[in-house]
Amino acid sequence: MNASFDAPKPEINVFYAKNSVPKDIVTEVTLGIEEEGIPFVVLEKENKNARELAYKAAEASHIGVGIGISDEVVLHYIKLKGDTPLFAISSQSNEENLRAIGSNAGRLMKRMPFRDVE
Amino acid sequence: MIIAGIDIGNASTETALARVTDSTPEFLASGIVPTTGIKGTRQNIHGVFASLKQALEKAGLSVEDVDLIRLNEAAPVIGDVAMETITETIITESTMIGHNPSTPGGLGTGVGTTINIRELNKASKGDAVIVIIPREIDFDTSSAMINKAVAAGVHVNGAIVQRDDGVLINNRLEHKIPIVDEVGLIDKVPLGMRAAVEVAEPGRVVEQLSNPYGIATVFDLNSDETKQVVPISRALIGNRSAVVIKTPAGDVKERKIPAGKIFIQGEHKKTEINVDDGAEKIMEAIRSVAPIDDVTGEPGTNAGGMLEKVRQVMSNLTNQPPANIKIQDLLAVDTFVPQKVQGGVAEEFSMENAVGIAAMVKADKLQMTMIAEELQKELGVKVEVGGVEADMAIRGALTTPGSNKPMAILDMGAGSTDAAIINRAGDIHSIHLAGAGNMVTMLIQSELGFEDAAIPEDIKRYPLAHVESMYHIRHEDGSVQFFSEPVDPRTFARVVILKPEGMVPIPGNHKMERIVQVRQDAKQKVFVVNAIRSLERVSPTGNARDIEFVTMVGGSSLDFEIPQMITDALSRYSIVAGRANIRGCEGPRNAVATGLVLAYCEGE
Repeated sequence: MNASFDAPKPEINVFYAKNSVPKDIVTEVTLGIEEEGIPFVVLEKENKNARELAYKAAEASHIGVGIGISDEVVLHYIKLKGDTPLFAISSQSNEENLRAIGSNAGRLMKRMPFRDVE
Repeated sequence: MIIAGIDIGNASTETALARVTDSTPEFLASGIVPTTGIKGTRQNIHGVFASLKQALEKAGLSVEDVDLIRLNEAAPVIGDVAMETITETIITESTMIGHNPSTPGGLGTGVGTTINIRELNKASKGDAVIVIIPREIDFDTSSAMINKAVAAGVHVNGAIVQRDDGVLINNRLEHKIPIVDEVGLIDKVPLGMRAAVEVAEPGRVVEQLSNPYGIATVFDLNSDETKQVVPISRALIGNRSAVVIKTPAGDVKERKIPAGKIFIQGEHKKTEINVDDGAEKIMEAIRSVAPIDDVTGEPGTNAGGMLEKVRQVMSNLTNQPPANIKIQDLLAVDTFVPQKVQGGVAEEFSMENAVGIAAMVKADKLQMTMIAEELQKELGVKVEVGGVEADMAIRGALTTPGSNKPMAILDMGAGSTDAAIINRAGDIHSIHLAGAGNMVTMLIQSELGFEDAAIPEDIKRYPLAHVESMYHIRHEDGSVQFFSEPVDPRTFARVVILKPEGMVPIPGNHKMERIVQVRQDAKQKVFVVNAIRSLERVSPTGNARDIEFVTMVGGSSLDFEIPQMITDALSRYSIVAGRANIRGCEGPRNAVATGLVLAYCEGE
């Protein structure tokens, strides 16, 4: 079987709400993904609902893993139901938890046990 | 009349309820509850009551309908287990870090002098250094500092990092270096010393630092010094990343702990044996002097302490002075225990040899009479203590369809393994041996390094599976099971115990194959060994081959793999062995309780 060269990259999508998320929250989450060594794309969206953003991000991701950031940081997986995300924490959570949720997006892809998120 | 036979076991209290007309029993119902308190003590009464009530409810009767309760004369044995390590690894002046952070950074081997990253600006051009990065310095700052130093001509050849950001640092370096991260006790890393850092590719393990000559090459060691680093290399085998630091007085030793002697006093002979000699030699010594009167340990040694601890526990349980407690059987098993390396920096563990011991003690017989008296007072029903436990068990076991005299039974419980044989004439001979379910739990607990016994107990009882996606698991045998609902995220990608009430994730990073191996080995070492040992002892000729039929009863025979292991092992002795099916409906449960009722009907 020949792999198509223009097939989309296996990326995790990170969608965040425009004008309502401090930049460093997005950065902390993506650092978690980077530590796991998985590629990701960050996009700004009009929607302000983190859960919807997460599901849209998962739908748009070739590997079905998406993160939505607004008042919450939500990790979603395309194979789950839209209203039941895998993890959801407040965007006011500490740096450790924000990184852990990014890390877990990578681990979902790599099939490794999740880090604790509270 | 209505009779209840009640068996107080180490783990469960079982009831057989029967209506007896003209010496013929008609069994009405059974009850089973966990035993309350230690077998043979006053606390048992609550369990007896609950078990009886359960059977009565099933039969639609009440306590007033019962005419007689018969308790087993509990085989007066209690078991306890203990464990002693006989080797330990000590690092003086911490000289190594070997661990497996999930995501180390970089690749390759780097050598240099250790330096705190805050001092990096003081390094001169041409210096070879390994930077130490404590928690307070984040990846952005540290990578910028390293890049600046490299630009100034300092050879930064590796890094040791406290936080989990090895990959992040590495991604921001212009010149890639091996980075070991998640080093907890970074303050203990000596500064100004020559060090080597090695990180292997994903899926591979360190090769340079796990080779004594590799370390000798890096540190320019002579042949005597190379001999000394062997324990370091050994401890690093199998790690994906490692650090070795050479300090002037640095040394790693594997020390043999003098475990002491055990003195075995038999009825006719006595012998002594060194615990360091291992389980096999200890068991040989036990066999050579059996039957045993008592076992003691050399005072002031680990062996002495281990046996005295068992004696003390038994003495507390039975309210007898420790001097009256006689250890009448030992089961010793070779095992290994992950022990924290003394002086390690990243909480390294080293597998140390250990000997696990189960001891069996003859206890006070009067306790059962006391329980019977109290029960009679509380219930207002006549309570009697009837018959030796093994006799009752064999009577119950003979209700198994397809069984007949002569026959041997193996009663594998939690605390002890009991065996009894009945010949054609109906004479019964029985023995009790140390070591059963609790010892298996102890071995699983120690070999996998769990702090308490809850998870090991579940590992012993239930099969495992690996959660492979949010929707499917792979069982031990390789078969795959899908679910229509996603699994609990806490179980994702983990090894889980398949308990009836759901999947329980096993903490730690143990592979499923390894847990299965440890579990099966523990069961073999205890149950198969004891099955053969006990049949040899009850066999009229002293040879297990001369027994033809064996039925297994007791809690451990309900296990999902122990009966097959024993059937398999005994088939090599041409013995037909299988799990009993009491009264054709109870499985291996309720043998003693059933036997208590039957013995009454036979007028005993």
